Amino acid sequence: MTEILAFKDIHRAYVRGVNVLQGVSFSLGQGEVVGLLGKNGAGKTTLLRIAMGMLEAQRGAVQLFGLDPRREPLAVKRRVGYVSEEQILPPFLSVRAVIALHRQLFPTWDDDLAAQLSARFGLSPRAKIGTLSKGEARQVALLCAAGHRPELLLLDEPAGGLDPVMRREFLETAIDLLNEGGTTVLFSSHYLFDVERLAGRVVMLHEGRVLLDSPLDDLRERYALALVPRGDGVTRDGLLALDGCLAARERADALHAVFQADPRRTEALLEREFGITGARCRAIALEEMFIELMGGQL
Amino acid sequence: MLFTVDPQSDVPVYRQLMEQVKFLIASGQLEPGDELPSTRTLSSELGVNPMTISKAYNYLEKDGVLERRPGLPLIVKALDDGQLQVRKEDLLRESLAPIVDMVRQLGIGHKEALRILGEMLDDAQREEELR
Repeated sequence: MTEILAFKDIHRAYVRGVNVLQGVSFSLGQGEVVGLLGKNGAGKTTLLRIAMGMLEAQRGAVQLFGLDPRREPLAVKRRVGYVSEEQILPPFLSVRAVIALHRQLFPTWDDDLAAQLSARFGLSPRAKIGTLSKGEARQVALLCAAGHRPELLLLDEPAGGLDPVMRREFLETAIDLLNEGGTTVLFSSHYLFDVERLAGRVVMLHEGRVLLDSPLDDLRERYALALVPRGDGVTRDGLLALDGCLAARERADALHAVFQADPRRTEALLEREFGITGARCRAIALEEMFIELMGGQL
Repeated sequence: MLFTVDPQSDVPVYRQLMEQVKFLIASGQLEPGDELPSTRTLSSELGVNPMTISKAYNYLEKDGVLERRPGLPLIVKALDDGQLQVRKEDLLRESLAPIVDMVRQLGIGHKEALRILGEMLDDAQREEELR
């Protein structure tokens, strides 16, 4: 698979010595749609800004289409669409003027696609950016990011602050774009529901590192949540010491542990190691996985 | 629309789709030769990544459920009665798998479990006859 975006051992700290990213590595092949997850402050935005060349990694390297975005910013940016968390479009410009501006910047600008998106969003060309709602401003930003049919879309919390209807609209637009051109997408989101629909793979950042990198389908087929009754001398540390245990946390009357093995194998493991027969092991969906991992990682 | 998916279920979306296609065929709602919606149509309608749809379709083709024809929509493959019966039984087996787990977890004996299933089937039949 052609590598579109590659992070290699990315390190980035802010001035006060707070490490944001401490050795992040993963890459996206062509046509992949990857959801970037993590708690607030996990470094998602920082990572996307590094990909855009807006920030420099203090150690490690990022490559887009095999190019360094700091060395060849123009060549890279022409092929990328980016929607940042807080999109800054000039408030005094009209929608039409903003679109015209992007059209000039990108040689591959597709008027038909732009018109189609504009109609879909119901944007009025004369409206000033400053008078738009947050959702409408995001739609303009997406239109500008996608209008040149980029090979790579980087979306930072694209649905942040949107109501459910607008979020769905945004999601469907992204899906249509995928359908049309096989665009590669990396997007960060707290809306795990959207991630489940859109992404083929998820990368979870935690404390500056990649905690989990897995195809979405594998999450349900190759991982399990075990609910282990308390007592019987089973402890959190005991669970964490087991092969394949990613996280464990103590809840009111049971221990919850996430294993990188399907439910049946996890059940067998617990029986073998602790003689537990009453452990309920089951597949988990993304949101639960996120909460379990963030609340009980090693 | 024939299909629905629940992205928050603990069953992967592509598997949900596969199960629904198989169920619709086994229950006669989709017949041999019927066309399936295109990957593009289905992904827009369901609001899921097109790759997920193609994954389901590819597996269904590999399983001999669907037939791909170059440049044309996928269709339901023809089956003889024996194959249909096998298909139905496979489907039932898959649906019963979690029940088997539960029976074991509850420590219910085989005979007991079969008795309960038998009773429930009888009840369902009686209800149908009353209607």
